[in-house]
Amino acid sequence: MVALVAGALLLTGCSEGGGGGGEQEGGGGATAQEPVPFAGAKASTGPAEPIPGAEAGGTIRVLQRDSYAHLDPAQIYVADEGKLAALIHRRLTTVKMDNDGDYSVVGDLATDSGTRSDDGRTWTYTLKDGIRFEDGSPITSADIRHTFERLFADFVTEGPAFVQSWMADDPDYRDLLPGGPYDGDHLPDSVLETPDDKTVVFHFEKPQNDLPYALGMPGYGVVSRSKDTREKYDRDPLASGPYRVQSFKPGKSMSLVRNPEWDARTDPARHQYPEKFEITFNHQYEDSSKRLLSDTGENQRATSFNNSVDASTVPQVTRDEAAKARTVSGYQTYVAMYAINMDRIKDHKVRQAIAHALPIKSVLAPYGGSAGGELAGGVISPLLPGHEKGYDPFGKLKKPGGDPAKARELLKEAGQEDRKLVFAFRNDDESQQEAVAVTDALREAGFDVQRKELPTDTFYDRIGKVDNGYDLYRSNWGHDWVSASTVIPPLFDGRKIADGASNYPHVDDEKINSEIDRISGIADPEKAATEWFELSKYIIEDVTPVVPVYFYKQMQISGSKIGGAVYNNDLSGIDPNKLYVKK
Amino acid sequence: MLRFLVRRSLGALVILLIISALTFFLFYSIPRDPALLACGKNCTPEALEVVRRNMGIDQPVPAQYWEYMTGILLGRDYAVGPCPAPCLGYSFVDNTPVWETILDRFPTTVSLAVGGAAVFLTVGLATGMLAAARRGTVVDKVLSSGSLVLSSMQIYFVGPLAIALFVYQLGWLSQPRYVELTEDPAGWFAGLLLPWCVLSIIFTANYTRMARSTMIEQLQEDHVRTARAKGMARRTVFFRHAWRGSLIPIVTIFGVDLGSLFGGAMITEFTFTLPGLGRLAVESVTNTNLPMLMGVMLFAATAIILCNIVVDAVYALIDPRVRLA
Amino acid sequence: MTIPTTPGREAAGPAPAAPGDGPFLSVTDLRVRFTTEDGPVRAVDGLSFTLERGRTLGIVGESGSGKSVTSLAILGLHDPRTTTVSGRIRLGGREVTGARERDLERLRGNTMSMIFQDPLTALSPYHTIGRQIAEPYRKHTGASKRAARERAVEMLAKVGIPRPRLRAGDYPHQFSGGMRQRAMIAMALVCDPGLLIADEPTTALDVTVQAQILDLLGELQQESGTAIVLITHDLGVVAGAADNILVMYAGRAVERGSAAEVLGAPRHPYTWGLLRSTPDLDSDPDEPLRPIPGTPPSLLAPPPGCPFHPRCAFPPRVAGGPGRCSAERPELPEGRGAACHLTADQQRAGWSAEAGRAGATGSASVPVPADGGADLLRKEGDR
Repeated sequence: MVALVAGALLLTGCSEGGGGGGEQEGGGGATAQEPVPFAGAKASTGPAEPIPGAEAGGTIRVLQRDSYAHLDPAQIYVADEGKLAALIHRRLTTVKMDNDGDYSVVGDLATDSGTRSDDGRTWTYTLKDGIRFEDGSPITSADIRHTFERLFADFVTEGPAFVQSWMADDPDYRDLLPGGPYDGDHLPDSVLETPDDKTVVFHFEKPQNDLPYALGMPGYGVVSRSKDTREKYDRDPLASGPYRVQSFKPGKSMSLVRNPEWDARTDPARHQYPEKFEITFNHQYEDSSKRLLSDTGENQRATSFNNSVDASTVPQVTRDEAAKARTVSGYQTYVAMYAINMDRIKDHKVRQAIAHALPIKSVLAPYGGSAGGELAGGVISPLLPGHEKGYDPFGKLKKPGGDPAKARELLKEAGQEDRKLVFAFRNDDESQQEAVAVTDALREAGFDVQRKELPTDTFYDRIGKVDNGYDLYRSNWGHDWVSASTVIPPLFDGRKIADGASNYPHVDDEKINSEIDRISGIADPEKAATEWFELSKYIIEDVTPVVPVYFYKQMQISGSKIGGAVYNNDLSGIDPNKLYVKK
Repeated sequence: MLRFLVRRSLGALVILLIISALTFFLFYSIPRDPALLACGKNCTPEALEVVRRNMGIDQPVPAQYWEYMTGILLGRDYAVGPCPAPCLGYSFVDNTPVWETILDRFPTTVSLAVGGAAVFLTVGLATGMLAAARRGTVVDKVLSSGSLVLSSMQIYFVGPLAIALFVYQLGWLSQPRYVELTEDPAGWFAGLLLPWCVLSIIFTANYTRMARSTMIEQLQEDHVRTARAKGMARRTVFFRHAWRGSLIPIVTIFGVDLGSLFGGAMITEFTFTLPGLGRLAVESVTNTNLPMLMGVMLFAATAIILCNIVVDAVYALIDPRVRLA
Repeated sequence: MTIPTTPGREAAGPAPAAPGDGPFLSVTDLRVRFTTEDGPVRAVDGLSFTLERGRTLGIVGESGSGKSVTSLAILGLHDPRTTTVSGRIRLGGREVTGARERDLERLRGNTMSMIFQDPLTALSPYHTIGRQIAEPYRKHTGASKRAARERAVEMLAKVGIPRPRLRAGDYPHQFSGGMRQRAMIAMALVCDPGLLIADEPTTALDVTVQAQILDLLGELQQESGTAIVLITHDLGVVAGAADNILVMYAGRAVERGSAAEVLGAPRHPYTWGLLRSTPDLDSDPDEPLRPIPGTPPSLLAPPPGCPFHPRCAFPPRVAGGPGRCSAERPELPEGRGAACHLTADQQRAGWSAEAGRAGATGSASVPVPADGGADLLRKEGDR
């Protein structure tokens, strides 16, 4: 849904596929991914399946690079906070990964993943018994109502906007409840109904078949109605998950301790093994990797929720069997691609020439090579249903260094030899290395490349402008949940071209637009997944607004006294809920 | 003494006012809207207005400055939370009053600075004085050239090497980290030992050289010769008569060094992942966290000025010819 | 004077000795050589003299003639790594040369002590006057802090510092120049040393204060019988204060005699030059002073023969021809005499001619008030 900005990994939806532990590589097993199923009451009942060999007690040290910017669930969108939210905030649904590595959407606070009616326009949820906030107060439908109503307040700007937009049937959703619930106004029953303490009913104008996925986003975590302090809640939220925040010093440290009000019997997906999580921030990847690799002293009981093994440490880790056994790895949600500005490069042959010329292997190299990603042929992630392994329309997997001869040929056919090409890239170290390789390859293919170096932190602002003045620029995208509906419409819907919007290539193709509308109406996830992938083929092959480069992967490492380390595709990394301290 | 303190404090206040005004107007004149950064991705014009109002940046800059300065004395109340006096502003990036974060980071910085300073001062003075006492001998040459070699080392080079060797490889020292002194004194010491030593590497050489040269200079002073002519023992001459005078240039530099260390030892803090003020300042720059940056800068400036006042007072203690007024 | 003397101190203190008790200090063939980057420097080259208790020896010479080097050698203050000292120095019957550092420390400030030229730099700016005076006293007598402080106050009173108890707590910078030199003297005499070396003690002071300081030294000497080596480049200073005079040139003694002899009938052409270049109350103010032509010789490469010969006008008159002066080193005879190849008669006649030329009366007048110094002292002390 949102472009990947340097430094902040965006949270992801869920996915299927063998997201195993140990050295097992998550993802790429199947040729076409199955959708993550919506589970019923049985799978939604706690307690969670115990982790074999897990022991309770102990403290886990967590080395994180970035501090948490938000603790209010309504403001949580990025992956760092998403993982934290998995420990402290519960929501109506969540994605459960069982001990076999299978994923399903289960009821979290709700008894199941939701009852669909009215062709997906109405969804009904019933709350479980025994669910409480950390202050001991029970979680009721009034809290759920409040949780959704406060999303309309002006101060909530960071979290996801899907459910609000669906409620309002309008991307500018705030007019539905201006200022939120704080002036005594509420959403009408025609939108959100809470007939009793236990029942929550959503009503939408259009069918919303992805609702159980969306409600599992950390951004829809429950907020206490009586303890809501608006802006200040971001600093001091009330926990509903197995852990609560004992202390938080932004930029420095956070302590998570067990939440005694959390009842394991109500929770199908979470555990409460360690006594405490001691999180410290500002550990660059290199620092955390070296500490964890050394496995000395306190580092034995340490891990990182979000830090990857840094590119320079990867070879050491892969050479050392014992160290490698302490790693988990798998796909992240992002797909790296190069966007071609369709307003400026109107000739399809020229776009194809770019596609053939790009040296995707050199693009990936600065990010750790195969540990940092897997070369891509398409824009649909291996984590998404419908993904076809080995899809490679331009033969780039066979020629990852680029095919300048083919590119030259295409340019000649188009009569555009020495075509001028304005190439914009970020000025961080990795991007500069990448840009050098890309520039060389494009020049070899016969382009007259003009380089534009942009500051990393405003890169997306600059390329997000409709008249940005560039021809070619990197853009990344990650799905919000395991459906291509969170990939293709935001990226390629021609009706959504605007400043700051995510249609970076400014593609506006009638067939794409109409197909988006058609496939969005398909209720069967499996059928929809297949159709989305077919559409993605058309986009890449017949329009070529982007050139896919690689699927993000990451490898994480933990100390030797950390047990239960597994890669969770839904969380795009190690699953904090399954960790324990080995005695 | 009292007059001195009053005068210097007033002077310091004026300097701080100038610094605060400069930084304030400078920061708020940069072409970046902190509200837009804080507003986030679902920002609407209304939401932006709310953020601007919450941040207090909907007013003209002079009015904001006035609010800022009165806030330091009286405290302020932001929509996102209270900011009790001394309110050095509110960090919207991490939702805390700036002062709270500075207070939280300061003990780390003080521990690092004071411990490091203790190491480099002791080692530097000891080696420098030894070199001076053994001037021209092998000892002198080894110490002098050794300090030169050390001073050419850089923290970002020595630090990771030292960690790799002493922590990861040999396991002699514990992982550098900061724990509160009051919480776990042994852990505090163990966690900071390596940072202290590495931090002091670059400083020690300076102090060795300075102690050596000022000591040699002092040993040639007439009054030192007088002391010898009075029959004072070498040791007495060295430590009672010559040493005192050699302190003055050292105290001057030490005051500057310590003051800037109180403002944060950025490279050391980054190298050892210690949550001090230096790191806070750098983070604030990268996050465009202007209130925090402003607060840290003012705090660091205050530290340096205070250290200067203390240095001047110490001059008077060392040298009775210096009058405090 | 009511002096609370420290027990044990009286017995050790030297009794005022009558002149002629035998030499208290004897220096024999003293040679001091510095090692420098450019080569060895013979700062003192074969110097011998003796000094009795209660007497004052004036050592006179231009700067670089080896006066101060001699005094530091007596105290054993030269850096052994860069300086070679040979010859014999005996003090009160004890050998000083070759003594261990610890033994020297016991002598310094106790049996022999020293006053330096500039009391401002020679006193430590970091300690009170009282403490600086008390310091050697404590060291050498083992007195308590309190007793040492009392002694310091007593000494300050003795050298004429008003309100000594109060001033003992002051720092040197709070004293005037003359007062500082008095404090310096108090410090040097705090242990009643047998020998006091005063190295240019009045050079940094006003002319009036100079006289007071010299008077004070004289008074104290009368009282205690201390032997004084008075080092100066100023003949006027030695004129009133010294019993005997030793003139030094290029590290050697070139003339020796009683003050009256040396000043009244100098024998060495160098001494003549010195006297000629000293202002004289009796001389015609319009008569220009005549400095000695040329510059003092380099001690790195001293001239062969008589070191003064390059600046001397008399080699042509020397028996044996001018070549003798640059070839043969003239010896200084025992007792009264000069190290010069001119015959004794030539030497006597030479000065008369010189003095006549200068219009001088033949004896140097010294601007030292015989008495009345005490009044001046008081004024000085009150400020």
